[in-house]
Amino acid sequence: MDRAIIVDHLIKNFEVTEKQPGITGAIKSLVSPKTKQVHALRGISFTIQPGELIGFIGPNGAGKTTTLKTLSGLLYPTSGFVEVLEYDPWERKNEFLKQISLVMGQKNQLWWDLPAVESFELNRAIYEIPTRVYEETLNELTTLLEVKKLVNTQVRKLSLGQRMRMELIAALIHKPKVLFLDEPTIGLDLIAQQKVRDFIYEYNKKYNATIILTSHNMDDLVDLARRVIVINEGKILFDGPFEDLTTKFAKEKIIKATLSKEYSIEDFEKIGRVKKLDFPEVIISVPRSTTAVAAAELLQNFPVEDLTIEEVPIEDVIRKVFKNF
Amino acid sequence: MQIIIFFFLWDAIFITNKEVFGYDKIKIFTYAFVLIIVRAMVFSSRSVDVAGQIANGELTNLILKPINYFWYWITRDFSSKLLNIIFGVFETLILIAILKPNIYFPSNPVYILAFLLSLIIAMFIFFNLSMLTSFVPFWVPELSWGAQFLMIVVIVEFLSGASFPLDIFPNTIYQILRLTPFPYLVFIPIKIYLGNFSYAVVAQSLVIGLIWCVILWKIMNYVWKKGLKIYEGVGR
Repeated sequence: MDRAIIVDHLIKNFEVTEKQPGITGAIKSLVSPKTKQVHALRGISFTIQPGELIGFIGPNGAGKTTTLKTLSGLLYPTSGFVEVLEYDPWERKNEFLKQISLVMGQKNQLWWDLPAVESFELNRAIYEIPTRVYEETLNELTTLLEVKKLVNTQVRKLSLGQRMRMELIAALIHKPKVLFLDEPTIGLDLIAQQKVRDFIYEYNKKYNATIILTSHNMDDLVDLARRVIVINEGKILFDGPFEDLTTKFAKEKIIKATLSKEYSIEDFEKIGRVKKLDFPEVIISVPRSTTAVAAAELLQNFPVEDLTIEEVPIEDVIRKVFKNF
Repeated sequence: MQIIIFFFLWDAIFITNKEVFGYDKIKIFTYAFVLIIVRAMVFSSRSVDVAGQIANGELTNLILKPINYFWYWITRDFSSKLLNIIFGVFETLILIAILKPNIYFPSNPVYILAFLLSLIIAMFIFFNLSMLTSFVPFWVPELSWGAQFLMIVVIVEFLSGASFPLDIFPNTIYQILRLTPFPYLVFIPIKIYLGNFSYAVVAQSLVIGLIWCVILWKIMNYVWKKGLKIYEGVGR
């Protein structure tokens, strides 16, 4: 098997009933319901190799979650072809379900009133994991996520960050080969985010698991994903290595210079677009192709104490990608 | 409570009559007491939660696990029934101690066996009906409670024989009802217990009940598959 996931021209439409506000609206929608087609996915295609860790980027409502739900067999595709581990996800065969896991940031599968270990135990039975393997995996996961001491605490008593880590354990106790993570760091503080991130990285390495990760948190993607897929309004805008995203969409580079004398904005305007002038610092954005020329010009004509050339921040790149389309 | 009203009502009726609608005093009281047990076994279920799960998207968790969703609910129903039977037996014993009625016990093993079989059929029919009404939120997420109310209170209470013996209806209506699945939930099992049916009618009843099991199971699976296709897993 050289392809873990194949998606070809996947389309998913939802039917949504619209209702006017108030009681007259309610009656109207009862008599003649107005439905609207929502095109969640408009023919997306991609393939993923086993062991890849892919970042899925897109604004709210772009179709990220819809894609993950379709890949895990929850949603029935309107048209197109989907294959995960050589199974049709929609059939939800037990052998298929035993090899995947879908974790959603806002969803919980843990039993609220019981200690997390009881939920793990239930999953052990459901996934038919041999006790020895289960003990080992549980031990390993709790160590990696640093929650060993908390497994016997009632879930309702745990903090959000602790609970999220328990959710991850519950989702991974059967060591899935394919893992779909939908906003795994949502609502977590920076330290917890880092822990979850490190863990995902480790898990991917150790088990050669295929992981698709969606996030609004750019740090998640910078740290983890070697390949990103950018999606907006149900279409794929970009699919490739993370670095290429910057070179493809950021047509400009950023020159930061520290000056020893004050100048006005006009003086820099012939070099490039002035983004910020706050003496002694000036930030100019210049076309990628002429970066070297612009830098030389700046050094020649101005008393520069320090100069750096940087890539446009990833957040700005993404923002630009979504604005352009 | 219901049983006490039932008891005193029929007690009053039998002061002046020896037999009403073909029931004598012992049979009608037995009907009432067997009803407690049959109700506890057939109507108690956890699967009413299915509608809520579909409406709020909780279903997602369960259908992503390598388990059979129907078996999951059948086992949960079963444990709920077990609990209810314990309470039902207690209730019956207390009421028997207080009211000291004459109760009929069947001695013919054929009837006892047929009664047990009819109970299994009844539970399975109820499971299918309850599942079917629970699937309504696939199409109308707001309607989960209404459909179940209609199903459980109106149809089941009234047409199953849980409120009164169905053969006090005019014969044509009774014969039509016998072709629907509802009498097989309560009325038919109790009638078999009472030994009121000939062997032929018992056999016929079990066959019709079994046919309904198959039909409802097929419909339920069909509707489930249709529903899943439009399931959106909202809210999660």
